[in-house]
Amino acid sequence: MTPASGTDPDLTRKERREQARSERKAMEAAAAQAARRTRMMQLGGVIAAVVVIVVVIVLATSGGKKEGLATGSQKNSTVAAVSTMVGGIPQSGNVLGNPKAPVTLQYFGDLECPICKQFTLGALPPLIAKYVRTGKMKIAYRSMETATREQETFRTQQIAALAAGKQNLGWNYIELFYHEQGQESSGYVTESYLQGLAQQVPGLNLPNWSAARSDPALAEQITSDAQTVTQRGFTGTPSFLIGKTGGSMQQLSPESYTDVAAFTPTIEKLLG
Amino acid sequence: MSTRVLRLVMIAIAMVGLGVASYLTYVHYAGGPILCLKGGGCETVQHSTYSKLVGVPVALIGLIGYIVILASLLVPESETTRLSTMTFTVMGFGFSLYLTARELFSIHAICPWCVSSAVMMTLLVCLAVWRFLRGDAPPTGALLRPSEPDSAAPLTAPGS
Repeated sequence: MTPASGTDPDLTRKERREQARSERKAMEAAAAQAARRTRMMQLGGVIAAVVVIVVVIVLATSGGKKEGLATGSQKNSTVAAVSTMVGGIPQSGNVLGNPKAPVTLQYFGDLECPICKQFTLGALPPLIAKYVRTGKMKIAYRSMETATREQETFRTQQIAALAAGKQNLGWNYIELFYHEQGQESSGYVTESYLQGLAQQVPGLNLPNWSAARSDPALAEQITSDAQTVTQRGFTGTPSFLIGKTGGSMQQLSPESYTDVAAFTPTIEKLLG
Repeated sequence: MSTRVLRLVMIAIAMVGLGVASYLTYVHYAGGPILCLKGGGCETVQHSTYSKLVGVPVALIGLIGYIVILASLLVPESETTRLSTMTFTVMGFGFSLYLTARELFSIHAICPWCVSSAVMMTLLVCLAVWRFLRGDAPPTGALLRPSEPDSAAPLTAPGS
């Protein structure tokens, strides 16, 4: 049996050297193994801590209601606010404003897009008050799929809004949708949600609205909007095209979706 | 890859990331238009609610992150500094993942600047984890050098 130490007098110098070397190798391997184990534990600890931090950030920044539709007094105040904002302004299909307005703004949005909601509740109301209500500009709402997960849901909800447009109440439906938008990817857009919104639109004839939803012209409009999106190379919503009515349209990339000042210079320039 | 080359590569990557984060921070505070690829969603991302975290612009958080990573790479290398670099890059990578997910699933727009920063952070975390796990670079041939059994002298690399 070989002794553990390298001092056996029977061993030759070469054997003692070999023995010492293998002992040293074993010790180094054990030390390396221990160090590797320690490092793996440290790495695991760091990753676990970062995962916890990221989850906390995600939860903290994922606000919003899941169900969507407002009820009671909240519903009444939302409906009243929307009616006040667009009431008295001419509507035709997806267009809000005087058909002869000198400037046209095309707003490409997805009804489930939270950033579109920021614009709709931020810069849009003063734009409507300053330019649309005064007949200087009209706004056409066009569809671009971004936030909505399922294409079928996207088409259904966008067509629901366009169907309200057949009764010249499309913008009431669009505004109510954004005002009562639910939490993204929560699946809140159901048939009952779309019906519930329609019931909130003052003066909307529900049987006619339901019938209009199967109008193939509305589906074609969604397809046409998608083609424009592809041609223009838009990558996110909201996206905008602006120009003199009947003239060529240019892309508008505002620096803010909540500050009307990001839009006014371009509009004023077009108004001359 | 030698320890020195690995560190230099990481410093170079961190410098590029620092440049990107500096530009985005400047644009955020200067408020001017952001240079973007045609059709890129830079404005959408830069002006979304997710462009700030508890009131702090994420571009500034990125800038601070790259500065800290760079600092950990510039100090003399040791087990502790390798652990620090790895920790900071894993944190940066986690934050990058969160921001990219927000771009894809919440903002629905992609900012090429943010993507480039995410790529830099991904490269950094891969290299930092590798550097941390391998520890000190093994001295070539050290274990193969025979030495006297009763010698107390530590192992040294050939020629050292």
